[in-house]
Amino acid sequence: MPGVSLPDPDAGPGRHVTLGPVSLISIAGLTKRYGGITALDGLTVDIEPGIVGLVGSNGAGKSTLLKILLGLIDATSGKATVFDLDVAHQGIAIRERVGYMPEHDCLPPDMSATDVVSHLATMSGLPRTAARERTAEVLRHVGLYEERYRAIGGYSTGMKQRVKLAQALVHDPRLLLLDEPTNGLDPAGRDEMLLLIRRTGTEFGMAVIVASHLLGEIERVCDHLVAIEGGKLLRSAPLGSFTERTGTLSVEVEEGQISLASRLVASGLTAIVDGSAVLIDLTDDRPFDIVRDTVADLGLPLIRIEQRRHRLEDLFRDQPLGSAPVAVATDDAAAVASAVPPTEPRR
Amino acid sequence: MTGPNAEAVAAAGASARSGSIFDLGYRRYEGPRLGRAYAIRSLVVDTFRGSYGLGRGGRAKVAPIALGAIAILPAVVFIGVLTLAARLGIQRELEQTTPLGYDGYFNSIGVIVLLFCAAQAPELFSRDQRHSVLALYFSRALRRSDYVLARLAGFALALLVLLLLPQLILFIGRVLLSTDIANAFGIDVVKVPAIVGQAAITAGLLGGLAMAVSAFTPRRAYATAGIIALFVVPGLVAGIVIQQGSSSIGDWLVLLSQGTVLDGTNAVLFNKPLPDDFFFFDLPRWSFLVAATVEIVVAVALTLRRFARITT
Repeated sequence: MPGVSLPDPDAGPGRHVTLGPVSLISIAGLTKRYGGITALDGLTVDIEPGIVGLVGSNGAGKSTLLKILLGLIDATSGKATVFDLDVAHQGIAIRERVGYMPEHDCLPPDMSATDVVSHLATMSGLPRTAARERTAEVLRHVGLYEERYRAIGGYSTGMKQRVKLAQALVHDPRLLLLDEPTNGLDPAGRDEMLLLIRRTGTEFGMAVIVASHLLGEIERVCDHLVAIEGGKLLRSAPLGSFTERTGTLSVEVEEGQISLASRLVASGLTAIVDGSAVLIDLTDDRPFDIVRDTVADLGLPLIRIEQRRHRLEDLFRDQPLGSAPVAVATDDAAAVASAVPPTEPRR
Repeated sequence: MTGPNAEAVAAAGASARSGSIFDLGYRRYEGPRLGRAYAIRSLVVDTFRGSYGLGRGGRAKVAPIALGAIAILPAVVFIGVLTLAARLGIQRELEQTTPLGYDGYFNSIGVIVLLFCAAQAPELFSRDQRHSVLALYFSRALRRSDYVLARLAGFALALLVLLLLPQLILFIGRVLLSTDIANAFGIDVVKVPAIVGQAAITAGLLGGLAMAVSAFTPRRAYATAGIIALFVVPGLVAGIVIQQGSSSIGDWLVLLSQGTVLDGTNAVLFNKPLPDDFFFFDLPRWSFLVAATVEIVVAVALTLRRFARITT
């Protein structure tokens, strides 16, 4: 594998940080069992620098993988390296240069964002004055201004997520591990968080791994996707190979489902009636216009138009679009569907 | 009219240096990284400050500062009385009748130290668990054991200040108020090792046990109740066993009572007879030092084990 080097913007043009001869992260046969539960099952994958999405449904093993990479928990068997350092023995050296944003709430409510982040910066070895300066910079970078002096207990979820991102960035890591960074955010908050992640990764050449069960979000920020399910690798590939639009468009109308479906079929689409909705196979953007025009022509009372995904697994295996609409009713699909901005705001 | 001009020049200089002064965006950090030892030192300092509520909200300061003031109060009063006695020329009589010397002080503020532990140890050791802050520490360049030992050291330092500050006031007062300062200093300075030694044992034992209890629950109230129970119940049990007549077991049981152990080490370090009390019946003097050491080691080992197993 060729040497991997990242542009180093502060060192001047042409200067690069060389990360060594192997990939950023190398995982071989990694297995983790908790009692009878297998969280990771012989996972093998190499991850290159860039913005990488780690996708999988809840319980797929994403958080476990991140914690093993940080040396926070030990693998049952197998091997993993980060920056060519062994996670089992060189955890401290890895953690010096990795920023981690945990999934759950992890901020003391009685301290201010400034105090927490600068304290954690010193825990990463930054001298006190540098820690304060970096804290101010990083909090501004994530969009916290005057409120950073107030106690975190009074923050909104969005503000807390920003503080969590800031503490992961404060020591200027080379690799950022983000576990469900959009958890609990409203649509606007998600967009802002995703934009921040994208900016952090692209503008500063920081390697980022974003773990999420929301494929629709992750595909907006990542260059590369690693999909895991049941602790096993489903697929690891550049985002481009995932982006073919596959899915179902659900058009819900109060009446006239049958006439709508027949008109759509006449226009060359595959459409079936499912209760109060008409489900249309989606292979490109074409159906959107046809549906809009057809519904307008027929003057039907439209309730909503929503794009649905199939199960992650199906999507990643590039299986042909299933004809059974029941597939979209599973939990996974619901989670994934909610990530894709529906035509009409939900709730 | 140099003011506005100077400002304009400064502003122009600033914008020339940094390009845009409005959006610096994210910048890389190229400064020094001081590593694990520095992180541990910083955590010790943070824990010490946190023990007195420094760097926290106003409400967090009330209990520790109040307890600290109460711990100092007897020393201040004693110095006042000593001043009065010096004026009346009855210093020697006071010296002989008052129980408030260096050795007696530890016992008299024992309850204060206990309350300080019960109030502040959960604040330090349960809090990070309750709010899952541990994940943020353990994902940095620290080992779990570093975290535990740094927190313990910081808390023990806070207890040392609580224990030694009144002793220092006592020392300064006694020396300065005596008629022959040099002589008084010579007499009192030999007691310093015993004072510091007893303070260290007290801080290690009570701090270590309070930390161990707090480490096992994220709930502050449970930790406080547990600490008080641990400091009070063994003494009661030992007392009951002794009164039931099976004295040889009871004698050794009292070594689980921190109050008794500390009274014992106090007597040993200050080279005084053990208190005239059935609790101390027939126990060898060294047993108190051994008991204190063993209990400190057990408390630290239990805490390390607990934090090694916590999932974050």
